[in-house]
Amino acid sequence: MLIYEDDYLKSVKPNYKDFMKPIEARRMSKTVKNGIICSQIAMQQAEITIPDAIIFGTGLGIVSDTEKFLEKMLIDKEQFLTPTSFIQSTHNTVAGQIAGRIKCHNYNFTYVNRGFSFESAILDAMMHLKEGKKNILVGGGDEITDHYYHIIKKTGLWKQNTLQNTDLLNHDTPGALCGEAVSFFVLSDDIKQETYAELKDLKMFYKPKNVFEIQNTITDFLKQNNLQNSDIDLIITGHSGNKTDDEIYDTVLSSEFPETPSAYYKHLCGEFQTASAFALWLGANIIKIQEFPDFIKLNDKTSKKLNNVLIYNHYFNINHSLMLLKKVES
Amino acid sequence: MEDLTLKLKEQIIEALNLEDMEPDEIETNEPLFNEGLGLDSIDALELIVLLEKNYGIKIENPKDGQKIFYSLKTMAEYIKEHQIN
Repeated sequence: MLIYEDDYLKSVKPNYKDFMKPIEARRMSKTVKNGIICSQIAMQQAEITIPDAIIFGTGLGIVSDTEKFLEKMLIDKEQFLTPTSFIQSTHNTVAGQIAGRIKCHNYNFTYVNRGFSFESAILDAMMHLKEGKKNILVGGGDEITDHYYHIIKKTGLWKQNTLQNTDLLNHDTPGALCGEAVSFFVLSDDIKQETYAELKDLKMFYKPKNVFEIQNTITDFLKQNNLQNSDIDLIITGHSGNKTDDEIYDTVLSSEFPETPSAYYKHLCGEFQTASAFALWLGANIIKIQEFPDFIKLNDKTSKKLNNVLIYNHYFNINHSLMLLKKVES
Repeated sequence: MEDLTLKLKEQIIEALNLEDMEPDEIETNEPLFNEGLGLDSIDALELIVLLEKNYGIKIENPKDGQKIFYSLKTMAEYIKEHQIN
């Protein structure tokens, strides 16, 4: 785990030269490059070369290129405009660039549904699998720029003071710790040696009236999957450091999962509209290796097995989602 | 001329967003397009704007582009001959 103190959490850059020539990367923002690398690793691990569909979810798209384009317009007084930043600024750049590189002409779609962007991509992928497709490349991600950070900070969504990421839950202040990340997965219709976990079910619910509605939704969701709250071996929540939002998680944990091990993750990636993609990556890895590190633990509860992992995330109490992961028997 | 060539390499790296490249990785005599550095038509637009914005040089006849942008050396020579600023 990286420990650092900053206004927002920046994603760690891989050595791009290990994956692509600088000339290939010249028009790609950080999110596009990270998306390509991530998807490449996911497909290698799943042992596929061409997926049946590429689906991406992003709240902001390639905001750095949008800013670059607009800034150039302002500085150069609408003269000397070139197409590069404009082309790259569109939301579907990540899915499009991946398809272009691997010459995949199959279904290609990008969801831009704010705090439901990644979940919408996952839902679409699940429906494609039900319709008979075999392997779907699905991902989610967002990037943060200084401009975006400072504009949104004025609305009070982000913390007004800098803090160390490991102290995320120790500050009794409003605002979340802002961040960014890109994650990619291959959803398949069968179990392989390389399979991390089964994504059993997904649910999205919008602006719940109160915490009772959330509690009932979670219980109903588990019932639909023939599970009780006590069957959950680990719950991963989206604690973001925003006091009022985190109280929702705390209430749900204490009332519905008092004896369940719980973990959080936004001290690792920060808050953004597709942060649940990072949670899915984390949950899938936990199920695969059957353990989780101390630095994500919210409580001291333990579980002998990690068969059922529930991810509960919400984006500023607007977009709530549940993802249920199950261990696969190889 | 050497100063101009180095400056031009730095400007190309910035304009084309070749952030992982160093100026000495661009060969002065190598073709910029296709088999050389591997630039394409969108990059050509960026280079045209680079010349106009930084050196006040406007390329009136698109056919001249092939010669001007053949290599870094040809670009530098053209700038030296036509520079206004």
